Amino acid sequence: MSRYIERAENIARFLDVANRMAMSAEGDRDAYWQPVLSITGGEDAYTERCGKLSAVAVVGFAVLDSANSASIYASLRAARENAHAVRSVIPHELWESVNATWLEARGLDGARLRDIGLMGFCDWVRERSHLFRGITYGTMMRDEPLHFIHLGTHLERADNTARLLEVRGEGVGVGPAPTEVDPTDQLHWAAVLRSVSAFKAFRTYYRDDLTPLRVADMLIMRADMPRSLHACLENVVNALEKVGPNAECTRVAGGLHAQLHWGRLDQLLNKGLDKFVEEFLVDINALGARIHDDFLMA
Amino acid sequence: MAFDEMKTSDGKARAPYKVYENWLLSMSPDLLPAKHEQADALFRKLGITFAVYGDQEGTERLIPFDPIPRIIDAGEWKKLSDGCCQRVRALNAFLKDLYHDQEILKAEVIPRSQVFNNGMYRPEMQGLDVARDVYIHIAGIDLVRTGENDFYVLEDNLRSPSGVSYMLENRTMMLRLFPDLFHRHRVAGVEQYPDKLLKNLRSVAPAACDGDPTVVLLTPGYYNSAYFEHAFLAEQMGIELVEGRDLFVSEGLVWMRTTRGPKRVDVIYRRIDDDFLDPLAFNPDSTLGVPGLLSVYRAGGVTLANAIGTGVADDKATYTYVPDMIRFYLGEEPILNNVPTWRLERDSDRKYVLEHLAELVVKEVQGSGGYGMLVGPTSTREQVEEFRTRIIANPSNYIAQPTLALSTVPTLVDQGIAPRHVDLRPYVLMGETATLVPGGLTRVALREGSLVVNSSQGGGTKDTWVLEDARC
Repeated sequence: MSRYIERAENIARFLDVANRMAMSAEGDRDAYWQPVLSITGGEDAYTERCGKLSAVAVVGFAVLDSANSASIYASLRAARENAHAVRSVIPHELWESVNATWLEARGLDGARLRDIGLMGFCDWVRERSHLFRGITYGTMMRDEPLHFIHLGTHLERADNTARLLEVRGEGVGVGPAPTEVDPTDQLHWAAVLRSVSAFKAFRTYYRDDLTPLRVADMLIMRADMPRSLHACLENVVNALEKVGPNAECTRVAGGLHAQLHWGRLDQLLNKGLDKFVEEFLVDINALGARIHDDFLMA
Repeated sequence: MAFDEMKTSDGKARAPYKVYENWLLSMSPDLLPAKHEQADALFRKLGITFAVYGDQEGTERLIPFDPIPRIIDAGEWKKLSDGCCQRVRALNAFLKDLYHDQEILKAEVIPRSQVFNNGMYRPEMQGLDVARDVYIHIAGIDLVRTGENDFYVLEDNLRSPSGVSYMLENRTMMLRLFPDLFHRHRVAGVEQYPDKLLKNLRSVAPAACDGDPTVVLLTPGYYNSAYFEHAFLAEQMGIELVEGRDLFVSEGLVWMRTTRGPKRVDVIYRRIDDDFLDPLAFNPDSTLGVPGLLSVYRAGGVTLANAIGTGVADDKATYTYVPDMIRFYLGEEPILNNVPTWRLERDSDRKYVLEHLAELVVKEVQGSGGYGMLVGPTSTREQVEEFRTRIIANPSNYIAQPTLALSTVPTLVDQGIAPRHVDLRPYVLMGETATLVPGGLTRVALREGSLVVNSSQGGGTKDTWVLEDARC
């Protein structure tokens, strides 16, 4: 349930970035929507059903398409189904909120979406996700159900942040850093920061120019940045240590966390940011599978 | 008949507005009013409000936002942008000269009385070197248009011009309300403004600063009408928003109180007038300032942006000399013209003005924000006579200008879409060079026929689009 809510939120964030980029940048505007597909992993399904890349089609696909398992619609539906299954365990406020979110999303169609505007809609999705977290924080006992909720949120978030870094990540970290950052690159990395609500934090922390390496440092290494890989792994490990301190998955998660906690960015990125992310995604998915085996199959 | 920026006299759309007009015609007439309402609700939610002085209720008000953009093409913008930068370079050179060798006074280009009788002249600045010789870090140049190629500078705002947050927020709002319009136009971005401003402020850190300069924004506090803007800019730049009581002077430096002890401050972007900066040096009753700040400033321990004493260069009488400054310091001809101005301390000027008071605009030399001015053609006989008495009592306190037929831009009003008068304030940043982001704040007089665009007088704002050159 928490995984799907988090996924819906992140898709909304990616759409928001693509939308801002497409409106302010030059060149082929439809191209800015490509990352939405590559991050959410629906490229092939998209090409099959929608064909050529276009803003309207990507938005339709990523927001409303019930057949696309990585759409906001499908994520909210899955969250609601999961919540329904554990309705007796979670606070009724949480159930009501997830259910209401779904009901509202179900009533959505292209016309209604145009009416609210994409930005307005993305804001709404984000708010519903904030609300979800707020209810869990404010009402749930600090015991297993809550730990599992945290686990889902942070596994999903780590996956999404990593995919976000992969776009334009090729070669970042390899060789000497270029002295001048290409303006489109700069625009892109600023949009990436905004999408994870980290732009202001970046300013406060670096007080300097935006470079791909600094953004990577912020979103990979910094434990105090709530959407960084490090922070996500820390939360995953914390949750796992409570629910299964001796489980194999806890050991695996601890290893992954240690890499970020004690590692150095230049070493992690020695093959490039894209390669790092690729490996990280394999690891995090393996961890997800392991958690599933350890707790749900037992 | 005022120049309309969208339509020619035979009702055709001018080039920059062609695409917009087509779009508008294809939309239902209910669309704009609906978007207008959405915008109001959003601005309220975001808390983008303005406190109006003299309003007994003390309530916060929204600045009316008009959903129809003001569009400027690349060629027009180039001229405006070059002209504004030229002006600020000359004004900055003037301040440096005035507070050092005073060549311009020796050359009798500007009379000494104009400077030394000016309340905004600061003897404390005499002989003082400021970092990188920059006095005017941020300037807002008010421009008006009266014809196809006729732009005039109405005034220079060199103290702490406000409104830039509206330039940024209006764009955000337009992107949100009309994403499809941005797909049809190539509108130059303005969102890099906070970045540029921060960079600019960091570049003028005092020589004494070693390492990473700490920049803060000094606000008079949340009762100030522009408090939202102060908070907004500080947030956007990722710097601390401080009040006077958060800072103190010790060991010849300025420090900020933090939860981890004092932190040295190198650059203060101050949104407080000179008079209130330091109760030990200026207004002793000021509780907004920092005691001892001036002594640190004079010793080169901290940079103030803008510098102290810039007001001497932006009053409405000094304004008349700016074209001369451009020739004197830069050896260039002004790119943008001044509005012809009568100085009322001159007998011949005064005589003419008093005879034609009902046709002219009269302004207090040091007034701002649309307070203390007379717009002859739209005033009652009593108002005109009252101004006559005031002018005779203190002529050098006033200037007069012809009533310009400010250009109009279509604006959404209760009755539908109608032309309303506008001005434009681009923001020039001065560091190593003068630069500005492609855009500015367009203010619009919402009342029919009104020429007063100030927000304190019921004006609204529009998003200003600078179109980029068509590329293939």
